[in-house]
Amino acid sequence: MDSQLFHIFRNTPLGRETLLQSIYFSKQTNASLNIYIPKFIKFLMYFDNDVVQVDLDESYLSSPDTALDRVKNLVESNGLSANFIEPKNFTASTLPDIPVNFDFMCSPRSISDLTSKIGLGHIGTRVRRIVQSAKFPVLITTPVYSEWNNITVFFGGSHNSIKALKLGIRLSRLTGKELFIFTQLDGKKREHYQEILEKEELQKEINLMVTKWNFYGSKSFEENLYNVPHDSLAIVGAYGHSVIKNIIFGSKMEKIQSTIQNNFLVVGPNYGQVS
Amino acid sequence: MRKLFSLRSPSRWFFFRADDRLLLILMGIIVGICSGLAALALSYSLETLLEFFHHYSQHWWVFILPAIGAALSSFFLNYVLKEGAGHGVPEVIYSVSRYGGLIRLRSSFSRLVSSCLTIGFGGSAGPEAPVVMSGAAIGSNIANFFYLNDRQRVTLVGCGAAGAIAAIFNAPIAGMIFTMEVILGEWSMVNIIPIAIASVAGAETSRLLVGNYIKFSHLTLNTNFIDMVACFGLAAVTAIVSILMTRMLRNMHHVSEKVKTKPWIRAAMGGCLVGLLGFQVPEVLGEGYHAIEAMVQGTFKAGLLVVAVAAFAKILATSLTLGWGGSGGIFAPCLVIGSFTGLAFHRLLVIVFPEIAWVNEGCFALLGMAGMISGILQAPLTGIFLIVEITGSSEVMLPLIAVSSISTTLCHYFEPASFYVKDLVEKGQLLRPGTDERVLTDLSVAELLEFDCVVIKKNMMFREFIEVVKSSKRNYYPVENEDGSFAGIVYFDEIRPYLFDTLMYDAIIIEQIVDDKVRVVNYTDDLSEVLKTMDNNGLYSMPVVSNNRFAGMISKATILDHYRKELKVQTT
Amino acid sequence: MNLSLSELAKKLNLPESTVERWIKQGRMPVHKESGKCIFNKSSLIKWASKHNLKFMIFEENNKIGDDKKELTFLSSMENGEVFYDVKGEDIYGVLENAVNKISSFDENQKKDLLAKLIERENLTSTGIGNGIAIPHPRVPVENFSESAVITCFIDGTVDFNAIDGKPVFILFILLSPSTKEHLSLLSKLAFCMRDISFVEFLKSKPSKDSLIEKVSEFENKS
Repeated sequence: MDSQLFHIFRNTPLGRETLLQSIYFSKQTNASLNIYIPKFIKFLMYFDNDVVQVDLDESYLSSPDTALDRVKNLVESNGLSANFIEPKNFTASTLPDIPVNFDFMCSPRSISDLTSKIGLGHIGTRVRRIVQSAKFPVLITTPVYSEWNNITVFFGGSHNSIKALKLGIRLSRLTGKELFIFTQLDGKKREHYQEILEKEELQKEINLMVTKWNFYGSKSFEENLYNVPHDSLAIVGAYGHSVIKNIIFGSKMEKIQSTIQNNFLVVGPNYGQVS
Repeated sequence: MRKLFSLRSPSRWFFFRADDRLLLILMGIIVGICSGLAALALSYSLETLLEFFHHYSQHWWVFILPAIGAALSSFFLNYVLKEGAGHGVPEVIYSVSRYGGLIRLRSSFSRLVSSCLTIGFGGSAGPEAPVVMSGAAIGSNIANFFYLNDRQRVTLVGCGAAGAIAAIFNAPIAGMIFTMEVILGEWSMVNIIPIAIASVAGAETSRLLVGNYIKFSHLTLNTNFIDMVACFGLAAVTAIVSILMTRMLRNMHHVSEKVKTKPWIRAAMGGCLVGLLGFQVPEVLGEGYHAIEAMVQGTFKAGLLVVAVAAFAKILATSLTLGWGGSGGIFAPCLVIGSFTGLAFHRLLVIVFPEIAWVNEGCFALLGMAGMISGILQAPLTGIFLIVEITGSSEVMLPLIAVSSISTTLCHYFEPASFYVKDLVEKGQLLRPGTDERVLTDLSVAELLEFDCVVIKKNMMFREFIEVVKSSKRNYYPVENEDGSFAGIVYFDEIRPYLFDTLMYDAIIIEQIVDDKVRVVNYTDDLSEVLKTMDNNGLYSMPVVSNNRFAGMISKATILDHYRKELKVQTT
Repeated sequence: MNLSLSELAKKLNLPESTVERWIKQGRMPVHKESGKCIFNKSSLIKWASKHNLKFMIFEENNKIGDDKKELTFLSSMENGEVFYDVKGEDIYGVLENAVNKISSFDENQKKDLLAKLIERENLTSTGIGNGIAIPHPRVPVENFSESAVITCFIDGTVDFNAIDGKPVFILFILLSPSTKEHLSLLSKLAFCMRDISFVEFLKSKPSKDSLIEKVSEFENKS
């Protein structure tokens, strides 16, 4: 079964940029596009242990008559075909349930709040909830369409970042793009991280797939982030070592998303390697 | 700190690992107490609000109050909490049957507040459904917090509902039975025990805070044989009224939908009409427990006509409130209408047969209530046990059983699905445990895929294909185009005649024998649909195509095989 | 004990998604913790047997299927013996002499086999033409683990009522434990016999070693 990418179409120029990003992603990874053109302002996603209500902002519903054609035009001009999601089940008459068995989801930084707020350092509450509950990683895109030519995984040794690393390896294999690892040493030695990988039996694959493993120790985390290539897809575990990991994003994640302007693939705590 | 967090996963503790029954009982107590508290909070605030507005009941502008209440509650639901409307119980049933009881956190208080606004300002609706919804949502979210699995979560949802009903009526058995009969639709030992415990916890909470107060405990209810006979008549009447009410409620929805305006304005319009109705028949306002009390005690002195009109007025008021966007349930209105009906029937009996010594009118009011509950909710046991518990005596048992069961049967004849599940049944969404639909919904196409098919290319020669046939075990050969997209299927049955004709070996290419009009299945298709297509077209296997590529075959044999496993796992 | 989801699914012989869903729905006594499935072995086995499922936890060292050699004409040739100058006037005489030469059989077995071969021969001749006959019992031989082909070069020729009427100069006695193996053996033998050069080679009464060498050539070809 090939991987499935979920996209909610917003019928605005901003939404077009996001859709282009999805198209680019599915072209690279050979994923099939599943597009939902909302007909109601809100929908529910029933995850394994949580139900998330997503209240879209009004712009998702603007000019519904043009939406389908616009999506089709964009998708087909890129040589792809899209599968349109028609909700089959409704919790209430205006509250459809959207399926959740996808492998990726593409989303701008915010889907519920005003789009004018989208900028560095801001990720909407609904997007956060989805990351928290979803089994799939969420691709948080840049406001403007930008291609990525290599992959950077942020690896801090936590359980989540191991999952992120595995995802990075998988994507790098799928797309044939170079893979970098970014590690902030935080007072620990390089060997510490390598030991973690050995425990996970990843060492071999790392040697095979990773172009370069960059360790940074001397400067602060924010400063080192400058070294992340501007055209890189950043893969980040949403939560690190923090104890309250189930409530808010990890501090590293917040720093990364408020410092660099790349496309992010955020791996949540419920993400499990699907295949 | 880390240790503290492991407290959140009690199902992993050694103690509960082997058997989760103890865990569920413990959780049931917690959920029962919480939902009991929610129920008490609602009934307390309703009393306070109704008390407060009672002082103004003589003013001319009082008819506007239900409008304000309904508008506020609709505004609160739609704009503050952004909930889809609805009185809640169907949503609980839906989530139990499809999503293992997952309910949003906001549902645990949204209906409490909104129904409090609707009813407190005089709208005609009941507080039970909102309380059930809250209790269920509390149970669901507690289950989520402790990372329980679907089966355990469903039990806790049931616990919440049971605790709420038990607390609001001070009737633990009714709470338990209501949950089993209406919410879960399944009587299994694993569920009954925690739910019974939650009922007890809910009722006990209410007894501690409000006192052990059984509403009609001092009534004498000695029914004679002749009353028994009259019960059959009463059952027929309540059945008719039930059907009338069900139809009225549903039609009111369609009427109000034609008014294209903001939902809260619509609610206000409905509320206004209710308020105007309340001028003539004040009994229709609010949840109506005072009216019930008066009727059962025999202090409601109005004559036959007035009582009959009041019953219909209450039906109208309830449909106006709920159909136009107010928030609340139909349980309490049912009770009110039931007691009006019972009373009216008693009055009628006294007029027609004045020489017979009938039992007191309160008894008929009670029987009417049971008849209505059994009719509308199609839950005879709930009706019976609720009345038994609020009277605190079992003397009235025989006529109760008669009225309830006959009323249910008659209603079932005209309205096959109860009011709560009607919408779900119409959309084919009522998936009771252990049913065919339930099993088929749980299975997905991806689980049943068979991969042992040999895919062949469209431009293959027949001679090469014969070699493929030799080495494969299946009778179907999916064909793909040069670019890998799905082209069709070659059926072994269709090529059998050419199989031994060596002349044909080099004369045919696969393209010429492929059936390219085969019906295909997508990953997202429902299994029931797939099976229907197979049955209608006499197929035993269908190809699954995803993203224009062949993914595997799905066959009846495999479906049956998994169906059996699934059924076994689900039912035992 | 704990296993990954895919290992557990394999042991239960179920699709992964089914196992994952059952765990989520709480239908089996397993729970997931950071990607691992944790369960009590005995209670899972109990659960599995209650639901007509099999939990194959001890499977790891059990490799019956892989040990079995693939059945070939060659291996059956090697299992059997090669006899030269088998005497006899007619079908029965040749068969009797041939069977009596088999070294691994005791008297009873020989008797039994001979009776079976004659029974088959009375049905229709097993002479398949080109001077070759393949006597075999109608039903698989009991207490017999591996297929064997016993090759008998006849002293002179014998009339075998073969389909093409030619007298027979060689017998291949086919012994196999199951009908399936018998069929496969038969088809492989038939493949060789179709080749005229092979028949000519047989007429030269080659030694066992060179016969086996030739057969292995054929096996590699097909």
